[in-house]
Amino acid sequence: MREVVVAGVGMVRFGRYNGEKEWPLKEFYELGCEAVLGAFRDACVEMKDIQAVFCGQVYQGTSAGFKVINEIGSTGIPIVNVENACSSSSSAFRLAYQSIAAGVYDLCLVIGLEKVPAGFVASTAWNEWERYMGFNVQPAAYALETVRHMKEFGLTEKQIARVTVKNRKNGALFPYGYFRQEVTLGEVLNSRIIAKPLRLLMCCPNADGAVAAVVCSRDKFKSRSKAVTVAASVLVSGMYGPLRGGGSVKVQNPNRTQMAAKQAYEVSGYGPEDLDLAEVYDAMAPIELINLEDLGICKPGEAGHLLDEGFFDLGGKMPVNTSGGLMSRGHPLGATGLAQIAEIAWQLRGEGGQRQVPDARVGLCHSMGAGQTCCVTILKR
Amino acid sequence: MMAGAKKEIPLREGLFTSGIPNDGSPQLVGTRCRSCGEVTFPKRKICPNCHKQDPEEISLSRYGKIYSVTVVTQRPPIYYKGPVPYAMGFVELPEGVRIQTLFTGCDPDSLGIGMDVELVVEKLCEDQEGHEIITYKFRPVDV
Repeated sequence: MREVVVAGVGMVRFGRYNGEKEWPLKEFYELGCEAVLGAFRDACVEMKDIQAVFCGQVYQGTSAGFKVINEIGSTGIPIVNVENACSSSSSAFRLAYQSIAAGVYDLCLVIGLEKVPAGFVASTAWNEWERYMGFNVQPAAYALETVRHMKEFGLTEKQIARVTVKNRKNGALFPYGYFRQEVTLGEVLNSRIIAKPLRLLMCCPNADGAVAAVVCSRDKFKSRSKAVTVAASVLVSGMYGPLRGGGSVKVQNPNRTQMAAKQAYEVSGYGPEDLDLAEVYDAMAPIELINLEDLGICKPGEAGHLLDEGFFDLGGKMPVNTSGGLMSRGHPLGATGLAQIAEIAWQLRGEGGQRQVPDARVGLCHSMGAGQTCCVTILKR
Repeated sequence: MMAGAKKEIPLREGLFTSGIPNDGSPQLVGTRCRSCGEVTFPKRKICPNCHKQDPEEISLSRYGKIYSVTVVTQRPPIYYKGPVPYAMGFVELPEGVRIQTLFTGCDPDSLGIGMDVELVVEKLCEDQEGHEIITYKFRPVDV
Protein backbone atom coordinates (compact mmCIF):
# COMPACT_ATOMS: atom_id res chain seq x y z
CA MET A 1 0.00 0.00 0.00
CA ARG A 2 1.32 3.45 -0.90
CA GLU A 3 1.34 6.31 1.57
CA VAL A 4 -1.55 8.72 0.94
CA VAL A 5 -1.58 12.41 1.82
CA VAL A 6 -4.10 15.23 1.97
CA ALA A 7 -2.45 17.76 -0.34
CA GLY A 8 -4.98 20.53 0.13
CA VAL A 9 -8.41 21.42 1.46
CA GLY A 10 -11.02 24.04 0.69
CA MET A 11 -14.21 24.96 2.48
CA VAL A 12 -17.00 27.50 2.16
CA ARG A 13 -18.42 28.99 5.33
CA PHE A 14 -21.31 26.80 6.49
CA GLY A 15 -24.60 28.62 6.94
CA ARG A 16 -27.83 29.38 5.10
CA TYR A 17 -27.37 30.09 1.41
CA ASN A 18 -31.04 30.96 0.92
CA GLY A 19 -30.83 34.63 -0.11
CA GLU A 20 -31.96 35.90 3.29
CA LYS A 21 -30.19 38.30 5.67
CA GLU A 22 -26.43 38.20 5.10
CA TRP A 23 -26.61 34.91 3.17
CA PRO A 24 -26.58 35.03 -0.67
CA LEU A 25 -28.65 32.45 -2.55
CA LYS A 26 -26.33 29.69 -3.79
CA GLU A 27 -27.05 26.23 -5.14
CA PHE A 28 -25.23 23.24 -3.71
CA TYR A 29 -23.11 22.87 -6.85
CA GLU A 30 -22.01 26.50 -6.60
CA LEU A 31 -20.96 25.93 -3.00
CA GLY A 32 -19.21 22.71 -4.08
CA CYS A 33 -17.39 24.52 -6.87
CA GLU A 34 -16.09 27.21 -4.48
CA ALA A 35 -14.80 24.55 -2.12
CA VAL A 36 -13.12 22.65 -4.96
CA LEU A 37 -11.36 25.76 -6.27
CA GLY A 38 -10.18 26.44 -2.72
CA ALA A 39 -8.75 22.93 -2.44
CA PHE A 40 -7.07 23.28 -5.85
CA ARG A 41 -5.38 26.53 -4.77
CA ASP A 42 -4.32 24.99 -1.48
CA ALA A 43 -2.82 21.91 -3.18
CA CYS A 44 -1.46 23.81 -6.21
CA VAL A 45 -3.27 21.54 -8.66
CA GLU A 46 -5.73 22.09 -11.50
CA MET A 47 -8.76 20.21 -12.80
CA LYS A 48 -6.62 18.46 -15.43
CA ASP A 49 -4.51 16.88 -12.66
CA ILE A 50 -7.51 15.13 -11.09
CA GLN A 51 -7.97 11.45 -12.01
CA ALA A 52 -11.19 10.67 -10.13
CA VAL A 53 -13.82 12.47 -8.03
CA PHE A 54 -15.70 11.07 -5.04
CA CYS A 55 -18.59 13.29 -3.93
CA GLY A 56 -20.33 12.74 -0.60
CA GLN A 57 -23.91 13.98 -0.26
CA VAL A 58 -27.21 12.67 1.10
CA TYR A 59 -30.30 14.41 -0.31
CA GLN A 60 -28.98 16.38 -3.30
CA GLY A 61 -30.25 13.89 -5.88
CA THR A 62 -28.78 12.31 -8.95
CA SER A 63 -25.44 13.50 -10.37
CA ALA A 64 -24.57 15.91 -7.57
CA GLY A 65 -20.83 15.44 -8.08
CA PHE A 66 -21.10 15.94 -11.82
CA LYS A 67 -23.01 19.20 -11.30
CA VAL A 68 -20.09 20.51 -9.25
CA ILE A 69 -17.46 19.45 -11.77
CA ASN A 70 -19.62 20.73 -14.63
CA GLU A 71 -19.29 24.22 -13.10
CA ILE A 72 -15.55 23.91 -13.77
CA GLY A 73 -15.66 21.81 -16.94
CA SER A 74 -15.82 18.04 -16.96
CA THR A 75 -12.76 16.19 -18.20
CA GLY A 76 -14.02 12.64 -18.70
CA ILE A 77 -12.74 11.27 -15.40
CA PRO A 78 -14.92 9.03 -13.21
CA ILE A 79 -17.20 10.89 -10.81
CA VAL A 80 -18.78 8.78 -8.08
CA ASN A 81 -21.60 10.00 -5.85
CA VAL A 82 -21.41 8.59 -2.34
CA GLU A 83 -24.45 8.51 -0.06
CA ASN A 84 -23.64 7.15 3.37
CA ALA A 85 -25.77 9.35 5.63
CA CYS A 86 -23.78 11.67 7.89
CA SER A 87 -20.59 9.75 7.06
CA SER A 88 -20.98 10.39 3.33
CA SER A 89 -17.94 12.56 2.70
CA SER A 90 -15.70 10.63 5.09
CA SER A 91 -16.80 7.52 3.18
CA ALA A 92 -15.98 9.32 -0.09
CA PHE A 93 -12.61 10.26 1.40
CA ARG A 94 -11.98 6.60 2.14
CA LEU A 95 -12.68 5.60 -1.46
CA ALA A 96 -10.11 8.13 -2.66
CA TYR A 97 -7.66 6.90 -0.01
CA GLN A 98 -8.14 3.26 -1.03
CA SER A 99 -7.72 3.81 -4.75
CA ILE A 100 -4.57 5.88 -4.26
CA ALA A 101 -3.11 3.47 -1.70
CA ALA A 102 -3.76 0.62 -4.12
CA GLY A 103 -2.07 2.47 -6.96
CA VAL A 104 -5.17 2.83 -9.12
CA TYR A 105 -4.87 6.64 -9.11
CA ASP A 106 -2.25 9.13 -7.99
CA LEU A 107 -4.48 12.11 -7.37
CA CYS A 108 -8.17 12.34 -6.49
CA LEU A 109 -10.66 14.98 -5.48
CA VAL A 110 -13.07 14.44 -2.60
CA ILE A 111 -16.12 16.65 -2.17
CA GLY A 112 -18.70 16.85 0.61
CA LEU A 113 -21.74 19.07 0.19
CA GLU A 114 -25.35 19.59 1.20
CA LYS A 115 -28.11 22.14 1.42
CA VAL A 116 -30.47 21.29 4.28
CA PRO A 117 -33.62 23.16 5.32
CA ALA A 118 -34.02 24.12 9.01
CA GLY A 119 -35.92 21.83 11.38
CA PHE A 120 -36.02 18.05 11.62
CA VAL A 121 -34.52 16.34 8.57
CA ALA A 122 -37.22 14.39 6.69
CA SER A 123 -35.00 11.32 6.83
CA THR A 124 -35.79 8.25 4.78
CA ALA A 125 -33.65 6.15 7.11
CA TRP A 126 -36.74 4.93 8.98
CA ASN A 127 -39.26 2.56 7.41
CA GLU A 128 -42.57 4.14 6.46
CA TRP A 129 -44.55 2.61 9.34
CA GLU A 130 -41.90 3.83 11.78
CA ARG A 131 -42.30 7.34 10.41
CA TYR A 132 -46.06 7.13 11.03
CA MET A 133 -45.19 6.17 14.62
CA GLY A 134 -43.09 9.33 15.02
CA PHE A 135 -39.82 7.44 15.50
CA ASN A 136 -38.12 9.50 12.74
CA VAL A 137 -36.82 12.28 14.97
CA GLN A 138 -33.03 12.40 15.18
CA PRO A 139 -32.85 14.21 18.55
CA ALA A 140 -35.30 11.64 19.98
CA ALA A 141 -33.14 8.71 18.87
CA TYR A 142 -30.14 10.32 20.54
CA ALA A 143 -32.23 11.22 23.59
CA LEU A 144 -32.95 7.53 24.12
CA GLU A 145 -29.21 6.79 24.10
CA THR A 146 -28.64 9.70 26.43
CA VAL A 147 -31.17 8.68 29.09
CA ARG A 148 -29.56 5.22 29.23
CA HIS A 149 -26.11 6.77 29.66
CA MET A 150 -27.43 9.12 32.35
CA LYS A 151 -28.99 6.15 34.13
CA GLU A 152 -25.93 3.88 33.87
CA PHE A 153 -23.12 6.39 34.41
CA GLY A 154 -24.69 9.44 36.04
CA LEU A 155 -24.10 11.84 33.14
CA THR A 156 -25.83 15.11 34.06
CA GLU A 157 -27.77 17.74 32.10
CA LYS A 158 -25.18 20.29 33.16
CA GLN A 159 -22.38 18.20 31.66
CA ILE A 160 -24.37 17.83 28.44
CA ALA A 161 -24.88 21.60 28.31
CA ARG A 162 -21.18 22.10 28.94
CA VAL A 163 -20.36 20.30 25.66
CA THR A 164 -22.32 22.96 23.78
CA VAL A 165 -20.62 25.75 25.74
CA LYS A 166 -17.17 24.31 24.95
CA ASN A 167 -17.89 23.78 21.27
CA ARG A 168 -19.52 27.16 20.75
CA LYS A 169 -16.49 28.76 22.44
CA ASN A 170 -14.19 26.99 19.98
CA GLY A 171 -16.55 27.77 17.11
CA ALA A 172 -16.19 31.49 17.79
CA LEU A 173 -12.57 31.09 16.64
CA PHE A 174 -13.38 29.12 13.47
CA PRO A 175 -13.85 31.24 10.34
CA TYR A 176 -15.94 28.70 8.37
CA GLY A 177 -18.60 27.88 10.96
CA TYR A 178 -22.28 28.84 10.97
CA PHE A 179 -22.54 29.92 14.64
CA ARG A 180 -19.64 32.06 15.77
CA GLN A 181 -21.03 33.37 19.04
CA GLU A 182 -20.37 31.81 22.41
CA VAL A 183 -23.28 30.68 24.58
CA THR A 184 -23.54 30.41 28.37
CA LEU A 185 -24.48 27.37 30.42
CA GLY A 186 -27.68 29.15 31.42
CA GLU A 187 -28.66 29.83 27.83
CA VAL A 188 -28.23 26.15 26.95
CA LEU A 189 -30.11 24.90 30.03
CA ASN A 190 -32.96 27.37 29.45
CA SER A 191 -33.42 26.72 25.75
CA ARG A 192 -36.61 24.86 24.86
CA ILE A 193 -36.81 21.08 25.05
CA ILE A 194 -36.79 19.26 21.69
CA ALA A 195 -36.69 15.64 22.89
CA LYS A 196 -36.33 15.27 26.64
CA PRO A 197 -33.68 15.76 28.02
CA LEU A 198 -32.21 17.36 24.89
CA ARG A 199 -32.77 21.08 24.49
CA LEU A 200 -32.48 23.19 21.35
CA LEU A 201 -28.92 24.32 22.08
CA MET A 202 -27.86 20.71 22.68
CA CYS A 203 -28.83 19.86 19.07
CA CYS A 204 -26.58 20.90 16.19
CA PRO A 205 -28.08 23.30 13.64
CA ASN A 206 -28.72 22.12 10.09
CA ALA A 207 -26.71 24.13 7.59
CA ASP A 208 -25.71 24.46 3.96
CA GLY A 209 -22.07 23.95 3.08
CA ALA A 210 -19.35 22.36 1.02
CA VAL A 211 -15.82 21.10 1.59
CA ALA A 212 -13.25 19.63 -0.78
CA ALA A 213 -9.92 17.87 -0.40
CA VAL A 214 -7.21 16.93 -2.85
CA VAL A 215 -5.82 13.53 -1.91
CA CYS A 216 -2.71 12.05 -3.52
CA SER A 217 0.11 9.57 -3.17
CA ARG A 218 3.11 10.71 -1.13
CA ASP A 219 5.66 9.44 -3.67
CA LYS A 220 4.15 11.50 -6.50
CA PHE A 221 4.04 14.71 -4.49
CA LYS A 222 7.19 14.78 -2.40
CA SER A 223 7.52 18.54 -2.62
CA ARG A 224 4.24 19.37 -0.91
CA SER A 225 5.37 20.46 2.50
CA LYS A 226 1.82 21.24 3.58
CA ALA A 227 0.62 17.71 2.99
CA VAL A 228 -0.53 15.64 5.96
CA THR A 229 -0.46 11.86 5.90
CA VAL A 230 -3.52 9.63 6.14
CA ALA A 231 -2.60 7.14 8.88
CA ALA A 232 -5.97 5.38 8.79
CA SER A 233 -9.27 5.74 6.96
CA VAL A 234 -11.81 3.26 8.30
CA LEU A 235 -15.49 2.76 7.56
CA VAL A 236 -17.78 0.29 9.31
CA SER A 237 -21.49 -0.36 9.38
CA GLY A 238 -22.58 -1.53 12.81
CA MET A 239 -23.12 -5.20 13.69
CA TYR A 240 -26.47 -6.56 14.82
CA GLY A 241 -27.07 -6.12 18.52
CA PRO A 242 -25.84 -2.95 20.15
CA LEU A 243 -28.07 0.12 20.03
CA ARG A 244 -27.66 2.14 23.16
CA GLY A 245 -31.25 3.34 23.50
CA GLY A 246 -32.68 -0.10 22.67
CA GLY A 247 -31.01 -2.94 20.79
CA SER A 248 -30.71 -6.62 21.59
CA VAL A 249 -30.87 -7.76 25.21
CA LYS A 250 -28.59 -10.77 24.67
CA VAL A 251 -26.24 -9.95 21.81
CA GLN A 252 -23.40 -7.77 23.06
CA ASN A 253 -21.28 -7.01 20.00
CA PRO A 254 -19.05 -3.92 20.06
CA ASN A 255 -20.80 -0.85 18.67
CA ARG A 256 -19.83 0.83 15.42
CA THR A 257 -17.61 3.50 16.98
CA GLN A 258 -15.75 0.93 19.07
CA MET A 259 -15.24 -1.21 15.96
CA ALA A 260 -14.06 1.64 13.72
CA ALA A 261 -11.72 3.02 16.40
CA LYS A 262 -10.14 -0.38 17.03
CA GLN A 263 -9.46 -0.86 13.32
CA ALA A 264 -8.09 2.68 12.93
CA TYR A 265 -5.72 2.24 15.88
CA GLU A 266 -4.53 -1.10 14.49
CA VAL A 267 -3.94 0.24 10.98
CA SER A 268 -2.22 3.46 12.10
CA GLY A 269 -0.16 2.03 14.93
CA TYR A 270 -1.39 4.87 17.12
CA GLY A 271 -3.50 4.50 20.22
CA PRO A 272 -5.86 7.01 21.78
CA GLU A 273 -2.99 8.15 24.03
CA ASP A 274 -1.05 9.31 20.96
CA LEU A 275 -3.75 11.71 19.75
CA ASP A 276 -3.16 15.45 20.08
CA LEU A 277 -6.72 16.43 19.15
CA ALA A 278 -9.94 15.01 17.72
CA GLU A 279 -13.02 16.06 15.80
CA VAL A 280 -15.78 13.91 17.27
CA TYR A 281 -19.36 13.61 16.03
CA ASP A 282 -21.52 15.91 18.15
CA ALA A 283 -24.85 16.07 16.32
CA MET A 284 -26.26 16.14 19.86
CA ALA A 285 -24.13 17.37 22.76
CA PRO A 286 -24.23 14.18 24.89
CA ILE A 287 -23.18 12.05 21.92
CA GLU A 288 -19.77 13.70 21.88
CA LEU A 289 -19.15 12.39 25.38
CA ILE A 290 -20.46 8.90 24.62
CA ASN A 291 -18.35 8.79 21.46
CA LEU A 292 -15.21 9.84 23.33
CA GLU A 293 -15.72 6.84 25.59
CA ASP A 294 -16.39 4.48 22.67
CA LEU A 295 -13.27 5.81 20.89
CA GLY A 296 -11.24 4.76 23.93
CA ILE A 297 -10.12 8.35 24.53
CA CYS A 298 -11.44 7.87 28.05
CA LYS A 299 -13.14 5.12 30.03
CA PRO A 300 -16.90 4.47 29.99
CA GLY A 301 -18.66 6.99 32.20
CA GLU A 302 -15.57 9.19 32.51
CA ALA A 303 -16.11 11.76 29.74
CA GLY A 304 -18.48 14.02 31.69
CA HIS A 305 -16.03 14.37 34.57
CA LEU A 306 -13.08 14.99 32.27
CA LEU A 307 -15.13 17.63 30.48
CA ASP A 308 -15.83 19.32 33.84
CA GLU A 309 -12.07 19.40 34.48
CA GLY A 310 -11.35 21.07 31.10
CA PHE A 311 -9.63 18.00 29.65
CA PHE A 312 -11.34 18.46 26.25
CA ASP A 313 -11.02 22.27 26.13
CA LEU A 314 -8.70 24.18 23.83
CA GLY A 315 -5.62 24.21 26.04
CA GLY A 316 -6.74 21.01 27.75
CA LYS A 317 -4.90 17.71 27.50
CA MET A 318 -7.04 16.46 24.62
CA PRO A 319 -8.83 19.25 22.73
CA VAL A 320 -12.02 17.96 21.10
CA ASN A 321 -13.84 19.76 18.28
CA THR A 322 -11.48 22.70 17.98
CA SER A 323 -13.53 23.77 14.94
CA GLY A 324 -16.60 24.07 17.16
CA GLY A 325 -17.90 20.73 15.94
CA LEU A 326 -21.29 20.22 14.33
CA MET A 327 -22.70 22.26 17.21
CA SER A 328 -21.11 25.50 15.93
CA ARG A 329 -20.15 24.68 12.36
CA GLY A 330 -23.63 23.41 11.53
CA HIS A 331 -24.41 20.09 9.88
CA PRO A 332 -24.68 19.95 6.10
CA LEU A 333 -25.10 16.18 6.21
CA GLY A 334 -22.89 15.23 3.29
CA ALA A 335 -20.22 17.83 4.08
CA THR A 336 -19.64 17.16 7.77
CA GLY A 337 -17.15 14.29 7.60
CA LEU A 338 -14.81 16.12 5.26
CA ALA A 339 -15.13 19.31 7.32
CA GLN A 340 -13.69 17.37 10.26
CA ILE A 341 -10.81 16.17 8.07
CA ALA A 342 -10.17 19.75 6.87
CA GLU A 343 -9.92 21.04 10.45
CA ILE A 344 -7.47 18.32 11.47
CA ALA A 345 -5.40 19.02 8.34
CA TRP A 346 -5.23 22.75 9.18
CA GLN A 347 -4.29 21.98 12.78
CA LEU A 348 -1.51 19.56 11.77
CA ARG A 349 -0.19 22.20 9.36
CA GLY A 350 -0.11 24.76 12.15
CA GLU A 351 -2.77 26.89 10.46
CA GLY A 352 -5.34 26.76 13.24
CA GLY A 353 -4.98 30.46 14.09
CA GLN A 354 -6.29 31.34 17.55
CA ARG A 355 -7.60 27.80 18.00
CA GLN A 356 -4.27 26.16 17.15
CA VAL A 357 -3.31 23.16 19.29
CA PRO A 358 0.43 23.64 19.92
CA ASP A 359 2.64 21.16 18.07
CA ALA A 360 -0.30 19.03 16.93
CA ARG A 361 1.07 15.89 15.27
CA VAL A 362 -1.73 13.31 15.24
CA GLY A 363 -5.46 13.97 14.99
CA LEU A 364 -8.57 11.80 14.73
CA CYS A 365 -11.89 12.42 12.96
CA HIS A 366 -15.04 10.51 13.86
CA SER A 367 -18.36 10.66 12.06
CA MET A 368 -21.44 8.49 12.14
CA GLY A 369 -24.88 8.34 10.63
CA ALA A 370 -27.98 6.38 9.74
CA GLY A 371 -27.46 2.86 8.49
CA GLN A 372 -25.14 2.38 11.44
CA THR A 373 -22.30 3.99 9.48
CA CYS A 374 -19.18 5.13 11.25
CA CYS A 375 -15.91 6.52 9.91
CA VAL A 376 -12.71 7.00 11.86
CA THR A 377 -9.90 8.79 10.04
CA ILE A 378 -6.48 9.43 11.59
CA LEU A 379 -4.18 12.05 10.09
CA LYS A 380 -0.56 12.69 11.03
CA ARG A 381 1.92 15.41 10.31
CA MET B 1 -65.24 -1.01 16.71
CA MET B 2 -66.79 2.22 15.47
CA ALA B 3 -70.29 2.08 14.01
CA GLY B 4 -71.04 2.89 10.37
CA ALA B 5 -68.70 2.71 7.41
CA LYS B 6 -65.57 3.60 9.40
CA LYS B 7 -63.04 0.79 9.43
CA GLU B 8 -60.04 0.11 11.64
CA ILE B 9 -56.97 -0.50 9.55
CA PRO B 10 -53.73 -1.80 11.10
CA LEU B 11 -50.75 0.48 10.48
CA ARG B 12 -48.90 -2.51 9.05
CA GLU B 13 -49.95 -6.14 8.64
CA GLY B 14 -48.07 -8.56 10.85
CA LEU B 15 -47.00 -6.16 13.60
CA PHE B 16 -49.71 -7.18 16.07
CA THR B 17 -52.92 -9.16 16.50
CA SER B 18 -55.99 -7.25 17.69
CA GLY B 19 -57.20 -9.81 20.19
CA ILE B 20 -57.37 -12.95 18.11
CA PRO B 21 -56.99 -15.83 18.90
CA ASN B 22 -56.44 -15.47 22.66
CA ASP B 23 -58.54 -13.73 25.31
CA GLY B 24 -59.34 -10.64 23.32
CA SER B 25 -56.16 -8.85 24.29
CA PRO B 26 -53.84 -7.59 21.57
CA GLN B 27 -50.40 -9.14 21.14
CA LEU B 28 -47.25 -8.19 19.26
CA VAL B 29 -45.97 -10.70 16.74
CA GLY B 30 -42.26 -11.46 16.87
CA THR B 31 -39.90 -14.24 15.92
CA ARG B 32 -37.59 -16.50 17.91
CA CYS B 33 -34.62 -18.11 16.19
CA ARG B 34 -34.81 -21.91 16.35
CA SER B 35 -31.02 -22.01 16.36
CA CYS B 36 -29.63 -19.21 18.60
CA GLY B 37 -32.83 -18.22 20.42
CA GLU B 38 -32.62 -14.52 19.55
CA VAL B 39 -36.05 -12.88 19.78
CA THR B 40 -36.88 -10.06 17.36
CA PHE B 41 -39.67 -7.61 16.70
CA PRO B 42 -41.09 -7.02 14.16
CA LYS B 43 -41.05 -10.60 12.90
CA ARG B 44 -38.27 -11.52 10.52
CA LYS B 45 -37.60 -14.17 7.91
CA ILE B 46 -33.92 -14.45 8.82
CA CYS B 47 -32.36 -14.30 12.29
CA PRO B 48 -30.24 -11.12 12.33
CA ASN B 49 -27.87 -12.65 14.89
CA CYS B 50 -26.95 -16.03 13.35
CA HIS B 51 -28.48 -15.59 9.85
CA LYS B 52 -30.35 -18.92 10.02
CA GLN B 53 -33.56 -18.86 8.03
CA ASP B 54 -37.06 -19.71 9.18
CA PRO B 55 -37.22 -18.48 12.77
CA GLU B 56 -40.53 -19.38 14.50
CA GLU B 57 -43.28 -16.80 14.82
CA ILE B 58 -44.27 -16.11 18.44
CA SER B 59 -46.74 -13.92 20.30
CA LEU B 60 -44.90 -11.61 22.67
CA SER B 61 -45.72 -10.81 26.29
CA ARG B 62 -48.14 -7.97 26.82
CA TYR B 63 -46.27 -6.61 29.85
CA GLY B 64 -42.80 -5.14 30.07
CA LYS B 65 -40.64 -2.42 31.60
CA ILE B 66 -39.58 0.88 30.08
CA TYR B 67 -35.94 0.64 28.98
CA SER B 68 -35.63 4.18 27.62
CA VAL B 69 -38.05 7.04 27.09
CA THR B 70 -38.08 10.56 25.69
CA VAL B 71 -40.76 13.18 25.15
CA VAL B 72 -40.75 14.79 21.71
CA THR B 73 -42.02 18.37 21.82
CA GLN B 74 -41.74 19.33 18.15
CA ARG B 75 -43.84 17.82 15.34
CA PRO B 76 -41.86 15.29 13.25
CA PRO B 77 -41.71 15.73 9.49
CA ILE B 78 -44.65 14.61 7.35
CA TYR B 79 -46.02 11.28 8.56
CA TYR B 80 -46.82 11.46 12.27
CA LYS B 81 -50.29 12.96 12.87
CA GLY B 82 -50.74 12.30 16.61
CA PRO B 83 -50.55 14.69 19.53
CA VAL B 84 -47.40 16.66 20.32
CA PRO B 85 -45.71 16.41 22.82
CA TYR B 86 -45.62 12.62 22.73
CA ALA B 87 -43.65 10.00 24.62
CA MET B 88 -41.59 7.44 22.71
CA GLY B 89 -38.99 4.88 23.67
CA PHE B 90 -38.15 1.21 24.14
CA VAL B 91 -39.92 -1.37 26.28
CA GLU B 92 -38.10 -4.52 27.37
CA LEU B 93 -40.22 -7.68 27.40
CA PRO B 94 -39.50 -10.82 29.45
CA GLU B 95 -38.59 -12.76 26.28
CA GLY B 96 -35.50 -10.56 26.03
CA VAL B 97 -36.49 -8.19 23.27
CA ARG B 98 -36.75 -4.40 23.25
CA ILE B 99 -39.68 -2.88 21.38
CA GLN B 100 -39.64 0.66 20.05
CA THR B 101 -43.02 2.17 20.84
CA LEU B 102 -45.21 5.15 21.47
CA PHE B 103 -46.56 5.56 25.00
CA THR B 104 -50.17 6.46 25.72
CA GLY B 105 -52.72 6.84 28.50
CA CYS B 106 -50.68 9.12 30.77
CA ASP B 107 -48.88 12.44 31.09
CA PRO B 108 -45.83 11.92 28.81
CA ASP B 109 -43.58 13.53 31.42
CA SER B 110 -44.65 11.01 34.08
CA LEU B 111 -42.83 8.11 32.41
CA GLY B 112 -39.42 6.85 33.46
CA ILE B 113 -36.98 3.98 33.02
CA GLY B 114 -38.08 0.80 34.81
CA MET B 115 -41.81 1.56 34.91
CA ASP B 116 -44.23 -1.32 34.28
CA VAL B 117 -46.21 -0.92 31.08
CA GLU B 118 -48.75 -2.95 29.11
CA LEU B 119 -49.56 -3.29 25.45
CA VAL B 120 -52.62 -1.63 23.92
CA VAL B 121 -53.79 -1.31 20.35
CA GLU B 122 -55.47 1.99 19.59
CA LYS B 123 -55.94 4.74 17.05
CA LEU B 124 -52.81 6.34 15.64
CA CYS B 125 -54.47 8.67 13.11
CA GLU B 126 -57.11 8.71 10.39
CA ASP B 127 -56.47 8.12 6.73
CA GLN B 128 -57.87 10.32 3.94
CA GLU B 129 -61.20 8.43 3.90
CA GLY B 130 -61.65 8.87 7.63
CA HIS B 131 -60.80 5.27 8.51
CA GLU B 132 -58.88 4.80 11.73
CA ILE B 133 -55.29 3.66 11.41
CA ILE B 134 -54.61 1.57 14.52
CA THR B 135 -51.26 0.64 16.00
CA TYR B 136 -49.61 -0.83 19.08
CA LYS B 137 -48.58 1.39 21.98
CA PHE B 138 -47.70 0.84 25.64
CA ARG B 139 -49.30 2.47 28.68
CA PRO B 140 -48.49 2.42 32.38
CA VAL B 141 -50.03 -0.50 34.28
CA ASP B 142 -52.81 0.46 36.74
CA VAL B 143 -53.55 3.91 35.35
